[in-house]
Amino acid sequence: MWRRALLLFAPPACVLLVAILHQQPPPTPVEYHLGKIDRNGEAMGAWSGPWACVCDARTGLLWEVKTDDEGIHHGDWSYSWYREDFGVPNNGDCYFEEERCDTRDLIRRSNRERLCGTDNWRLPASAELQTLLYPQAKEGAPLIDTDYFPKTRRGDYWTRDGEKPLQGVYRHLKHGAVAIDFIAGEQVTIPYRNAAFVRLVADASKACHQLRK
Amino acid sequence: MVTFWDSAVTKYSKSNLWILFHTAAVLALLVNLSSGLRIATLRRPAIAQIAELLPDGRVHQLHFLGACALTAIACAYLLFRLYTLIRGGFRSLDWKNFDYHRCVIWGGCAVLAVSLASGWLLLSDTAALGSPRELHFAAALGMLLYLFFHGGSYLLQYGRRALLLILRPTRQPGGRLLASAAVATGVVLGGWHFIAGSAQHSLPVLRVSVSTPIHIDGAADETEWTSAQPLTLSTEGGANFANGNTPVTLRALHNTREIYFLISWRDPTESLTHLPLRKTENGWQVQQDGFHRFDETRYYEDKFAVLLSDACDFGAAGTAHLGRKPLDNKPANWHGHGYHYSDSDRIHDLWHWKAVRTNDMYLADDNFIGPPDIRRPGRRRYTAGYRKDGKESGSYVMNWQWYRPDTVIPKRLPRLAEQLARYESAGGDSDWVIPWFDFAPYAAENDDFPEGTLMPSVIYSSNRFEGDRADVRARARWRDGRWTLELARPLDTGSAKDVAIHTGTCLWVSAFDRAQVAHTRHNRPIRLELE
Repeated sequence: MWRRALLLFAPPACVLLVAILHQQPPPTPVEYHLGKIDRNGEAMGAWSGPWACVCDARTGLLWEVKTDDEGIHHGDWSYSWYREDFGVPNNGDCYFEEERCDTRDLIRRSNRERLCGTDNWRLPASAELQTLLYPQAKEGAPLIDTDYFPKTRRGDYWTRDGEKPLQGVYRHLKHGAVAIDFIAGEQVTIPYRNAAFVRLVADASKACHQLRK
Repeated sequence: MVTFWDSAVTKYSKSNLWILFHTAAVLALLVNLSSGLRIATLRRPAIAQIAELLPDGRVHQLHFLGACALTAIACAYLLFRLYTLIRGGFRSLDWKNFDYHRCVIWGGCAVLAVSLASGWLLLSDTAALGSPRELHFAAALGMLLYLFFHGGSYLLQYGRRALLLILRPTRQPGGRLLASAAVATGVVLGGWHFIAGSAQHSLPVLRVSVSTPIHIDGAADETEWTSAQPLTLSTEGGANFANGNTPVTLRALHNTREIYFLISWRDPTESLTHLPLRKTENGWQVQQDGFHRFDETRYYEDKFAVLLSDACDFGAAGTAHLGRKPLDNKPANWHGHGYHYSDSDRIHDLWHWKAVRTNDMYLADDNFIGPPDIRRPGRRRYTAGYRKDGKESGSYVMNWQWYRPDTVIPKRLPRLAEQLARYESAGGDSDWVIPWFDFAPYAAENDDFPEGTLMPSVIYSSNRFEGDRADVRARARWRDGRWTLELARPLDTGSAKDVAIHTGTCLWVSAFDRAQVAHTRHNRPIRLELE
């Protein structure tokens, strides 16, 4: 009888005990090619924040992250395309310049503050910026991974590729620069004077190098 | 020493029909207990301790199918006993051998009767009956005890012989037995299909003229509402409501272009303190008691959800999948309750009115439930099929740069300290929404607020959403322990993320009393009948 009782009740009791003791661990982040970098250039966990830059391990590029703090990286600011001595200066909208804004202003400010420990910020090439296109974006969101690149607007983002012939209604302006449209993911050529958004990039950054290691 | 029952077990054998029905009863009981305990984990965290042993996924359907089978077996057994009673008279009851096992069996029958009766009452969603859930749960525990005292004692007494007796057929199953099994299975499945297809509340949608204005203001003072036939049903299982229960009353109108709902539910408290920030000696802290695992039940706004679907399956159109990880290849959820998602490509519409985040926008958040989303590595919370419709612009944001359970840095601070004076206590009825431009970007040098200062956390960056997410107009008012909510939406928005409304569209409603996910629910869908 005792043996039978043991056989009958011990296994269920053990199963119950194991079920009670073995609780599922909380979810943890998975490996991903994007990594968060803080303002000082230090790597952060996938579920940590706030962060200032993102390193893409696939390309080795370090990307600026936009904010909503009304500082120089605020996502709503727009810029005309201006590089050294060509393009159109001060034709975008921002709060951080006395005059209006152009792409050179944001590059200068970002390098001066050594954003994420780097001072070689620049406009990305078309091919570089297109690596951020993310077809699995949520409904109505721009075509980018907004969990890593929040405050991205549904609009055009400048690339460094200037001196491109303009077509159609812009033909009379002769030349413009390439932008990537994050609504449809297309490449467009628009006049320098246009106010478009900007996401800066840096290569050979120490922060990204450390993260990739 | 050989007892009477020893000899009975060795001497007597059970008929194949008995074995068939007994086995079916045991299986149905186990299915019901396991699926029912899984459903109970939504309200009883103690049961979640054994969640690993319970089934995941669409357990509501499983529970209902098991209930149909158990009810059919119980009815068959009752008819058989009545038949033998009528044929043999009271002497056939065999009172002389009324021993321990018979006592247990009769006790089990009584508990089973209570369990079935309370279960079917639960399915009725009848508000006047209160919530029979407690009784149903107690009966489930009684059935667990019954398994122990009935099956356990037989096994203890006779060991393997008892198992052989109830499982080994005496001879090859004959054609009549197989036919009986097939008929019984057909009856159960047919009954299940019939009840599942017809067990719907009906909500008539009164037609009004296109020129009749229905103001979405929560006042419900249009005379048309009094002409609309109300439907009141009990919803239960929500956090913070008395016994988890609140009755919900619905009325509906349409003018061939738009549909209007008037919904009211009992909620003794108007909860507007949505995750407020409090200044502590270490900095600002989000007031929360469960938000870190996405299951806040204390510092949260009241909400109400309406699910619309062309499917009328149990378990919120079949979208409710319970358990910590109902999807093998997707992340687990933090709270262990489960996910809403569609098993097919079908889209289910979800309107989510929020007392703080959307009420002042005069909108409900237009969301949907679709197939499970992809895993998003940067997102700590995976929501499976529950997603938001797209928007062109406009939103609310939370007033922290990044959420942490210890301290946070606010996004914005009031321009004047007096702006926070009205939030001296968390129970006030002040406006708990911050207009973006009334506050300034956070700067450490401006953060000189004294310890104990309370600050709202919801910032409107614009007056309202624009685009697909703004299709549902909504406004609610709380008065005398009741919320009154008016909703309006075009019958067909043309959006792929919305469900076009017509006769036969089913809906489900849920109330949230300062709870993030722990909402009330009802069992039978509400079928719209448009005039």
